[in-house]
Amino acid sequence: MTATLIDGRAIAARMQAETKAEAETLATKGWAPRLVSISVGDVAAAELYVRNQQRQAEAAGVAFEARNYPTDISLEQLTGVLAGLNADPRVNGIIIQRPLPAHIPVKALQKAVHPLKDVEGMHPSSIGNIVYNDLALGPCTAVAAVEILKTLPLKVEGLDVCVIGHSEIVGKPIAFLMMGLGATVTVCHHMTRQVAVHSRAADAVFVAVGKPGLVRGDMLKPGAALIDIGINRVDGPNGPRTVGDADFESCAATAGWITPVPGGVGPVTVAILMKNAVLATRMQMNHYRAAFAAAG
Amino acid sequence: MTAVVIDGKAFAAKVRAQVAAHVARLREEQGLTPGLAVVLVGEDPASQVYVRNKGTQTVEVGMNSYEHKLPADTSEADLLALIARLNADPAVHGILVQLPLPGHLNSDLVINSIDPAKDVDGFHISNVGLLGTGQKSMVPCTPLGCLMMLRDHHGSLAGLNAVVVGRSNIVGKPMAQLLLGDSCTVTIAHSRTKDLAEVCRRADILVAAVGRPEMITGDMVKPGATVIDVGINRIERDGKAKLVGDVHYASAADVAGAITPVPGGVGPMTIACLLANTLTACCRANALPEPKGLTA
Repeated sequence: MTATLIDGRAIAARMQAETKAEAETLATKGWAPRLVSISVGDVAAAELYVRNQQRQAEAAGVAFEARNYPTDISLEQLTGVLAGLNADPRVNGIIIQRPLPAHIPVKALQKAVHPLKDVEGMHPSSIGNIVYNDLALGPCTAVAAVEILKTLPLKVEGLDVCVIGHSEIVGKPIAFLMMGLGATVTVCHHMTRQVAVHSRAADAVFVAVGKPGLVRGDMLKPGAALIDIGINRVDGPNGPRTVGDADFESCAATAGWITPVPGGVGPVTVAILMKNAVLATRMQMNHYRAAFAAAG
Repeated sequence: MTAVVIDGKAFAAKVRAQVAAHVARLREEQGLTPGLAVVLVGEDPASQVYVRNKGTQTVEVGMNSYEHKLPADTSEADLLALIARLNADPAVHGILVQLPLPGHLNSDLVINSIDPAKDVDGFHISNVGLLGTGQKSMVPCTPLGCLMMLRDHHGSLAGLNAVVVGRSNIVGKPMAQLLLGDSCTVTIAHSRTKDLAEVCRRADILVAAVGRPEMITGDMVKPGATVIDVGINRIERDGKAKLVGDVHYASAADVAGAITPVPGGVGPMTIACLLANTLTACCRANALPEPKGLTA
């Protein structure tokens, strides 16, 4: 193995410390950050995830309220709930947990969150800001992946980057964030004829597809950075385990840097969510002061 | 010279005829006439010409054209008030504010005050985000025109390697999104790209939108590629003023499979797509099926 392992937990811990300091500053100004998480129905899988967010929030000095609504709640009722949260000055960020029941279209809810409280960075105007290179609140996973790359000793300007996977919440925003930083970005996906041709030309590869073993070492340029965003459950000899989209061993033999799964992008994603929470709180404070109050 | 010349003028006429046929049907079956409001602030001579052309073509396809010419010293409040009126006017389905605006007006604020459903230029931050997340949106006219020509020439674009040179908000970025939407493998190259010629030579579809006269030369074009030249540059050659694109036409046409000329390529498509967008907006506003083939 030649690649340097990127320690996502350590990066997340550094971010969390910064977030905590900022949260304390905001609290002294009367703006202690507070998140509300919304889940619908009996979702055991999401519960683990929510509890983890709650722990991270509290560690970062961000208050966290988990709300669960019954499965048969209507879209109208939920958008009503969101309207209330949008208007409530004590709430600074809204998280919509997935999965949602089939009768609740997730995009409709994401659109109903006020852009200043969109800590998940899923509102069309948040995405629009990313495209226009005006980073306010970005989609957490994409921002996390890019932040990780930025910790490496690589000059991002002019860097050849290959993004595998063109999902709206990960692949595409990564492409636009990297492009905004001056990288030359190629976006590959399931219709791409020869992914290896593109990935082998890249100094940095992001993969976010959800297919274990998709990227092998022979698809990488020696010394390249590989940021693996996939999270897949597979059966191993010692029971089920979590792996990314990369075939770790062969990739680690070729790459210069690689993120492990778990312990790579995952922890940083939660750290970005909390960073967004304090960022959103500060934006709301500034907005409030500009609109209603003079000093403070 | 081997390349097929893509005749934008003829294609635009075809699009306008399609729009006109739809407009006639809307009037007959629904009693509806799509309306486009164009707002011009100040007396920029080039803008005056554009606005006049837009008005003429709007009327030619059977739509209502509303021109609002305001003095250069119009206040932001007055302009926003006009936009609010147009937003509320059911006879107006499309609103276009001619850019650039005089320096004392904040273009972002003005554009983002247009109802996104009436933003026929597709510049509202919500439309940018909707396009970025693969949702129904208003698509910027110039890249939409390029997409229509590419679809017409190739049929399916799936799996083709597309390279967009230039990352502007009004052409490069939305063009990349549209090509991704049609399942191309997309690379966005720009001024920071290390080896532009090498990147361009990978392209089955090469879109040039940088605003630098004749920058893309034949040796940068893959044999048989389709070259779309969005640039319009006014240069002086042999003492005469001349319009050229971002592509060096003669050398590129020797290598390419198909190419758009300048003038007479992408240019005429832009207004045709503006009319198509206005029609699409009218249909959506009235919950009628959208005309096929006239949007992304």
